[in-house]
Amino acid sequence: MQTSGNMKWLWLAIGAVVMLALPQLVTSSFAIDIFIRILLFSFIGVAWNLMGGYAKQLSLGHAAYFGLGAYTSTIMQVNYGISPWIGMIAGGVVAMLASLPIGWLCFRLRGPYFTIATIATAQVLMLIFLKFRDFAWGAEGTTIPNLGSAPLMMQFEEKSSYYYVVLGLLVVGLWITHQIEKSWIGYYLVAIGEDEDAAEAVGVNAPKVKRDIYMISALLTALAGTFYTQYIYFIDPATAFSFSVSIEAALVSIVGGIGTLWGPVIGTVLLETTSALLQSWLGSSVGGIQLTVYSLILMAVILWRPTGLIGFATDIYHRTIRRKPARA
Amino acid sequence: MWETLAQAVINGLLIGGIYALVSIGVTLIFGVVKIVNFAQGEFVMIGMYISFFLATQFGIDPLASLVASMPVLFLAGVLIQHFLIRRVLGPNDMPQIFLTFALSLLLLNLSLMLFSANYRTVHTSYSDEAWHIGGLYIPVAKLIAFVVAMALSGLLWVFLHTTDLGRAMRAASQNRDVAMLMGINPNRVFAVAFGTALALAGAAGSLLMPFYSAYPFVGQVFVLMAFVAVVMGTLGNVMGALVASLMMGVAESLGIQFVGADSGLIVVFALLLLTLAFRPSGLGARRGR
Repeated sequence: MQTSGNMKWLWLAIGAVVMLALPQLVTSSFAIDIFIRILLFSFIGVAWNLMGGYAKQLSLGHAAYFGLGAYTSTIMQVNYGISPWIGMIAGGVVAMLASLPIGWLCFRLRGPYFTIATIATAQVLMLIFLKFRDFAWGAEGTTIPNLGSAPLMMQFEEKSSYYYVVLGLLVVGLWITHQIEKSWIGYYLVAIGEDEDAAEAVGVNAPKVKRDIYMISALLTALAGTFYTQYIYFIDPATAFSFSVSIEAALVSIVGGIGTLWGPVIGTVLLETTSALLQSWLGSSVGGIQLTVYSLILMAVILWRPTGLIGFATDIYHRTIRRKPARA
Repeated sequence: MWETLAQAVINGLLIGGIYALVSIGVTLIFGVVKIVNFAQGEFVMIGMYISFFLATQFGIDPLASLVASMPVLFLAGVLIQHFLIRRVLGPNDMPQIFLTFALSLLLLNLSLMLFSANYRTVHTSYSDEAWHIGGLYIPVAKLIAFVVAMALSGLLWVFLHTTDLGRAMRAASQNRDVAMLMGINPNRVFAVAFGTALALAGAAGSLLMPFYSAYPFVGQVFVLMAFVAVVMGTLGNVMGALVASLMMGVAESLGIQFVGADSGLIVVFALLLLTLAFRPSGLGARRGR
C-alpha cells in the first residue's frame, strides 16, 4: 500500500496508543485473555512467516521450538529456581541450536517431503520428552508454582501485565520481520520462495540464508513457548509440542496473507475473534465447532483468495479507492 | 527370545497391512495428481463409522460392509477431486497442502460434532478369536484384515498393469505432461486415482472395525504412519509404500516389544529421519538425487 511516510508514522502512533491503552479501557478478564491469545498467536505466526511465508518453506513442525522454549525455561525454573526471563533467553538459544541439525535434515528435502519431515521432528521431540521422567515429569507434566506477584519470575497478579509482555514480543517480532523485509536477505528469501534453483543460479547462497532465518524463526517461536507456559502455569509434552501449535502458526499466516508483515496478525485477529465469539455463543456444548469453522474459513481463503485477507484488502483498496490495478 | 521376536514381527506385519492400504492411497494420489492428501486418515475414520453404523443399525458384519464403504468413499473421492482439488492444481504446492489439510480439520471436527469423542466398537464372533501355532498367537480378525489388505493391494497392482485406465494412471504418474500429450484425459484419470485412494482408505476402516475402536481422531494414528511409510518408500511409488508400510508396522512392534510400551513411534520416526538423512528421496527412488 502506498501510504506516504508521514501517514505511516501517524498510523503507527495511533496504533501504539490504542494497543497500550486497551487493557486499561477493557477490564473484563475474558476480553484480556482473548487479547493475549491474539497477540501470542500473532507472534507465533510472525515467527513462522519468516520461513513459511517469505521463503515458502512449509513447516508444520514449529511446535518443536515452542516446546523446547517452554521446557527449557520451566526446567530451569522448577528444578533450579532460575527466573523464566533468563530461561526464556536460554530456551531461545536451545531452539536455535536445535534448528541447526533439524534444518540440515529437512532443508535438503523439498515440498511435501519437507513438510512431513518437519512434522516428524516435532513428534520425535514430543516422544522424547514423554520419556524424560526424572527432570521433565514425563507424560503427566507439572504445574508451575504460583508465586502470586513476582515480576522478576515472570509472574503477575494482573492479566494486563501478561498482555504487555506478549505485546512487547510481538513488536520485536514485527520489527525483526520489517528489518529483514527491507534488507537484501528479505529479497533472497522471496527469491528462494519463488524458485530455489533459479535463486541459487543467480548467486543466492540458499542453504545459508535458509539456515540463518530458520534460526531466527526457531528462536522467536521458543520465546512464545516460555511465555505460554508461564501464562497457563502448566506444562506437559502434549501441550508444549502440540501439533495444533504448528497448525495455528501456519494457519494464521495463510489466512491473513503469507509473506507479508501484517498477514499473521490479521489472520489471528479473524480466527481468534471468530473462535471467541463461537465459544461465547455456544459455550463448550458442541465440541469441534470452533475448528470446523476455522477449516471452512481456511478452505474459503485458499479457494477464492489465495493471497489471504491482505491480498483481498489490497484488491478492494485499489479497485474502489485508488482505481489502480492491483498487483497480481 | 526367538518366540518374542517372531511374535513381534507377526504383530507388526498384521498391522502393517492396514498401514499399507492407507499409504498406498496417499502415494497413488501423489503419483497421479501430484498432491499430498493430508485428509487420508479422516477417510479411514469415515470408513470405520460407515461400518459401525451398518453393524449397529442393520446388523451387518463390518467385513461385509466393505461393499458399502469402498464405493461410498470412491464416489466421495471423485467429487472432492472434481469440486475442490481440481481448483488448486498448479505449480505452487502451498494451496494444495493447505486445502487437503483444511479438509482433514473439517472432517475431523465435523465427526466430533456429529458423533462425539466416544469410542465406538463393534463386537463380532471372531473379534476375540485367535490361533495358536507353536508358541505364536495370531488374532483372527487381524489376520483377515491383513489378507484382505494384501488382496486389495494385489488387485490394484493388476488394475494398474493390465487395464487401459490403470496404464493411463501409471503413465500420468511417471510423466504427466507426456501422458497428457498422448491423449490421456487428466480430469478423468485424476478423479479415478482420488476415488481409488479413498476407497482403499474406506476398506482400511471397515477392516479395522472388528478389532479397533472408531473415534474422531482415529485417522491421525494411521495417517502419521502412512506418511512415514510413503516418504520412506518414495512418494508416488506404490510398491515402495507397500513394502515400507510392512516395515513400519514391524519397526513399531519391535519398538514396543524391546524398547518400551510407549516407544513404538520413536523407533519408527528414528528410522524415517535416518532414511531421510541418507536417502532424501526414500528407499524406492529409482536413482539418488
